[in-house]
Amino acid sequence: MELKTFPATVDSLDPLRQYVKDVSQQAGLDKKATYNLILAVDEIATNIILYGYEKAGLEGFIDVLTEVSDNRLKVVFEDDAAPFDPTTRELPDEEDFDLPLEERPIGGLGIYLTINGVSEFSYEYINNRNRNIFEVDIKSP
Amino acid sequence: MDFTINSEVVDKVAKITLSGELDSLSARVFQKEIEKVALQSPTELVLDMEHLAFMSSAGLRVLIFSKQKMGVGLTIYVVKPQEAIVDTLEKTGLQHSVNIVDQYPA
Repeated sequence: MELKTFPATVDSLDPLRQYVKDVSQQAGLDKKATYNLILAVDEIATNIILYGYEKAGLEGFIDVLTEVSDNRLKVVFEDDAAPFDPTTRELPDEEDFDLPLEERPIGGLGIYLTINGVSEFSYEYINNRNRNIFEVDIKSP
Repeated sequence: MDFTINSEVVDKVAKITLSGELDSLSARVFQKEIEKVALQSPTELVLDMEHLAFMSSAGLRVLIFSKQKMGVGLTIYVVKPQEAIVDTLEKTGLQHSVNIVDQYPA
């Protein structure tokens, strides 16, 4: 697996997206699949950065591991923040937003786009590291 | 990719042009712009997305926020969004809350 590390700060979002885009294009992912993967990684990276690190007052890094095999692209984010499983928790909206209760479903929008944007999304906590795993089937042309 | 935003309000029509990538970071800027145009109580919000390459869920939340801020009577137009952004609006059911158009005024 190839590894690239990014500081867990919001300034990393843009370079991180660009990196995953480059990897996707090299792997032969089509435009739509690439966009959906970028959407997914951006969502998870944002949550790690904002909730795992910035709001927790921590500094750290996100390790991005990528692997292409058997017509599948696998991207794994690893971080050392507190355990956080995005698939089980409905994330709060950014605190500046003053949304009423009926907007609660909106809180899950990003995770919905993540899970539905890739072939398989999973989370595990191993060796004191959060692992967010994105897998995308590479369709033959 | 840098995010840029411009806005103007003429005759109760607020037009905001978005370029680049709209993620959580740039969504804060978008929200501030919405708050700014909201002060003039527009009845129509025209979002020119022709040069918007990416929109995350943060961007969607600002869209929803804009309707709250400016009232349910607000009509939102999304001008020339790229296909992937239309997909996102459709996947999340938001295409029912906006009018996707090729140009404004029609």
